[in-house]
Amino acid sequence: MLHAAQIWLVHAIERHSPVATLMRTHWAWPIAESLHFLGLSLLVGAIGSFDLRLLGVARRVPIAAMHRLVPWGILGFAINASTGLLFLLTEPDQYLYNPSFHFKLLALGIAGVNAGLFYATSYRQVFGASPSLDAPRRAKMIALVSLTAWITVIVCGRMLTFYRPGDCVGTPGVLLTCQPR
Amino acid sequence: MSIDPFLVWLESTALSEWVVGSPSLLAFPGILALHAIGMGLAAGLAAVLDLRILGVAPGVPLVEFRRFQPVLWGGFWLNAVSGVLLLVGYPTKALTNPVFYLKLVLIAAAMALFVRIDRLIRSSDASAPATARSLRRLAITSLVCWGGAITAGRLLAYTYHRLRA
Repeated sequence: MLHAAQIWLVHAIERHSPVATLMRTHWAWPIAESLHFLGLSLLVGAIGSFDLRLLGVARRVPIAAMHRLVPWGILGFAINASTGLLFLLTEPDQYLYNPSFHFKLLALGIAGVNAGLFYATSYRQVFGASPSLDAPRRAKMIALVSLTAWITVIVCGRMLTFYRPGDCVGTPGVLLTCQPR
Repeated sequence: MSIDPFLVWLESTALSEWVVGSPSLLAFPGILALHAIGMGLAAGLAAVLDLRILGVAPGVPLVEFRRFQPVLWGGFWLNAVSGVLLLVGYPTKALTNPVFYLKLVLIAAAMALFVRIDRLIRSSDASAPATARSLRRLAITSLVCWGGAITAGRLLAYTYHRLRA
C-alpha cells in the first residue's frame, strides 16, 4: 500500500512537475539551497531562542515579549517549506525513497504537533492577564521537544545526500528506501 | 611559490583521510551536520539580535538579550572546529576557491560587528539617539554579512575548481 503510494507520487511528480525545468537551470538549485540555509538559520534563531526562554534562559524577559520573535521563525519555516518543495518537485525519487527524508518528515510532524500542543495547553498561563516569568513545567517539556525535533530535522536534512536510494534488492520494509525497477 | 606540496601533505594525514574516507556517519556526514547546527545557532541568534535592534519584539530589553550570547558563541566555536575538520578533509577544494576566502572574511566581519554591537549595548548611553542610530547601522550590516557568509558557504559546493591536490 505505502509502497504503491510512494511509486505513484514519484511518477505523478515526474510527469507533471511544474518547476523541474526551472530548477535544472544552472543556478536555480544552488540559489534555492542557499535560501534553505538562510531560512534554517532564521528558524533556529527565532524558535530556538523562544524555546530557551521557556526553559529559563533570560528569565527576566517576559515570555509574551519574546514570543514576538516567533513570526520570524515562521517566515524561516515558510522559506524552507517552499524551497524544500522545489527540491522535492524536481527530484522526487531522491526524497520519497530516502530514509533520511522519511525521518525528517517525522521530526517535522513532531515539531508541528508539539507547537500546536504549546498553544493548546499553555497559552493562558504564558500570555494571560498575570503571566508568570517562569514557564509552566508542561511548556518547558514542549520547549525541550521542540529543540530536539528541530535539531533532528537539520541532521536528517544534512544526511539526505548520504542516504541516496540505490536500486532495490531483497524485501523492502514498511516504506520503500530504494529505487524500484 | 605553490602551496601544492602543503596540500598534498595535508591530504595524506591520518585526520584528513579519516574525515574524507571513514565509512562512519560520525566522520564527514556528522561533521557536516554539526556545521549546519552551529550555523543555525550562530547566524540565527545574531540575526534575531539584529532584528531586535531594528525594532522587532520591542518588549525584550537588549541588555537581557545578552543572556543568549553563550549560545551564539557556542555555535561559532562549534563551527570553527567542525569547519577546520572539513578544511583538513578537503583543503584543496577550499583553499583554491576565492569564494572560501570571501566566506571567511564575511564571518570575521559579522563576528566583529557582533562584538561592537555588544559593546554599545553594555555602554551606559545605549538609549541615546546617536547610539541607537549606530546600532541600527551595525545591525543591518551584520544581517548582510551573515546572509553573504551562508550563501558563500553553500556555493562552495558549486564553485570549486580542484577537489584534491
